[in-house]
Amino acid sequence: MTVVKVERLEKDYGKVKALRGISFEIKAGEIFGLIGPNGAGKSTTLKILATLLKPTGGRAEVFGHDVVEDAEKVRSLISYLPEEAGAYKNLTGIEYLRFMARLYAKDDGKAGDMVELGREISDLGGRLKDKVATYSKGMTRKLLLARALMVMPRLAILDEPASGLDIVNAYTIRKTIKRFAREEGVTFLVSSHNMLEVEFLCDRVALINKGRIVEVGTPKELKEEYHAENLEEVFMRAVEPAGGEGL
Amino acid sequence: MSDFWVLARKEIMSLVRDKKLLFGLIIVPLIIYPAMGRVMQLGMQTAQGETHVVIVSFDSGPYGRVLVDALTAAPNVTVTLINASSLQGALNRAYQEKQNVLVVIPRNFSASIEGNQIATVDVYGIFRSMGTGMRESVSESRINAVINVLSEEIARLKLRNLNVGRPDAFLHPVRAESRSFINHHIVNAPPSLVSGVLASQAISLPLIVFLMVTITAQMAAGAVAAEKENKTLETLLTLPVKRTTIVASKISGTAVMGLIAALAYMVGLKSYLGSFTTETGVTLKELGLGITPTGMLLFALVVFLTIVFALSLAMILAVFAEDVQSANTVVSSVILPLAFPAFILMFTDINALPAPARYGLMAIPFTHPILAYRYALSESYGPMALSIAYLSIMALITLYFAARIFSSEKILTAKIGWGRKRK
Repeated sequence: MTVVKVERLEKDYGKVKALRGISFEIKAGEIFGLIGPNGAGKSTTLKILATLLKPTGGRAEVFGHDVVEDAEKVRSLISYLPEEAGAYKNLTGIEYLRFMARLYAKDDGKAGDMVELGREISDLGGRLKDKVATYSKGMTRKLLLARALMVMPRLAILDEPASGLDIVNAYTIRKTIKRFAREEGVTFLVSSHNMLEVEFLCDRVALINKGRIVEVGTPKELKEEYHAENLEEVFMRAVEPAGGEGL
Repeated sequence: MSDFWVLARKEIMSLVRDKKLLFGLIIVPLIIYPAMGRVMQLGMQTAQGETHVVIVSFDSGPYGRVLVDALTAAPNVTVTLINASSLQGALNRAYQEKQNVLVVIPRNFSASIEGNQIATVDVYGIFRSMGTGMRESVSESRINAVINVLSEEIARLKLRNLNVGRPDAFLHPVRAESRSFINHHIVNAPPSLVSGVLASQAISLPLIVFLMVTITAQMAAGAVAAEKENKTLETLLTLPVKRTTIVASKISGTAVMGLIAALAYMVGLKSYLGSFTTETGVTLKELGLGITPTGMLLFALVVFLTIVFALSLAMILAVFAEDVQSANTVVSSVILPLAFPAFILMFTDINALPAPARYGLMAIPFTHPILAYRYALSESYGPMALSIAYLSIMALITLYFAARIFSSEKILTAKIGWGRKRK
């Protein structure tokens, strides 16, 4: 089953062309990675799929719903974690989870279940009773990931989920994503500029550079095709012939 | 609980827990303003306390003695009778003894009265420091009051000696009795008293509207800008909630807090201003100027629509700001120039203005609560209905644009670097 279908997607910010006609598909239950350097167009793609931005050309669908025409329906199926997201500083961690659960669940019982799941995913224990303003970057990121996953979205769109985190927090977050894909069947679209992270996490990846997708495949296929040891080498070899510009 | 209530509750909770906001918008007006007013009152009470008068009498006749007795008997006046050979000597003594006033009864005082001449008493306020001068002024007016009473008593005595039956009719042959004609009713109150009551309303209402509009607008803009600054906006916009619900909940949440803050400012400011002015002791109702339930309802509707307009305008403006600081700058630059012209109504009636100025003022929604209040007092409900129609249109237009802008990507991409350099 196709969860995400992107066809010749374009996005211009005035004279700047952020996306130059990209196309890819994501199947149900996949962890799909969009990888590329800063400014490649990863966040723009994710924001279009999360209904925050409107494309200037092409189209994108989530579970068959157009992200522009059916934006509200799309929003009910997804959960989006922005790259530099924050939480409401004057709320405690648990209040933040309850607030979010209330917007997804229409009854108290379901909302309560979501909060319990959020409490477990966040792994913040007693600190959930403290105000978000007192949290470290890693704690906030874990709270936000818990918020994104506790609602059991059909598609989770995560922009640089482990960006700026220490090794322990980054590892925990990656493990949680993998668990949700395997055990709960949640489909993931993850962006990252950390090729090694993506290699560990993703079933399939798309390499994006300067608004164009240069390759799509499993990490294994790509490494074999480019005779590379890791995705970093794949990326460098894939983009060089296109213009000789590296990272 | 509906999405609207969940979001509105979060808005209120975030604002209530913002210590800086609470301090600036509720604690400052409720504590600092009344404290400032209390300090002013203490100053005035000290000035209105006991008046210390030094009297030097160069008069040997009976009337000099009568004046000293009258001043000694007067309330809140402590009299010290001194002997001095010259005016300068008396002034030096009064200064050294920290007295407020020196009263000099001249040598020919009794002789002038007895000879049917005007007798003069010299009153000197003793300024020891260049403070407010309130104490010296109060003392002088007390002495003058005593001298006026004494002057009348002496005049009555003289008239009785001349066998005049009703001395008061000679002293005050003409007396004016003032009344007012308000809302087609004669009210037994002088126009000056009515003017005093109306003037206090004319000054306080534009101030209250100004505070209400600016505070609620700043809060609404802050609520939107804080979402950008704290990086919560993108998450909020991808939640399964209608954008119109997000706008409505933000407006409602900030309106509740804004109104509480405006109320706090009103209470604080009233207490502060109350320390300067003396109460007329007359209510609007006693003057036949009460507001009927219909008038009150229409007035409340005008205030509500004005707030909705101010809040939605502030939210539109805040979309162009990157953070709370820039949002405050943007809102101040637009809302303040719109709210200031209403101050003209402190000093003038709108109908006394030339037509362009009148229509210009009426085009600004913030003028309407002030006008509506005056119309409510005079039970003119037609113009109030027109105000409601106009404000409804303006509020709907701004609400529509606020909802539109929240539904577009402009809310994420529109930026004006006010007050801070763009990164």
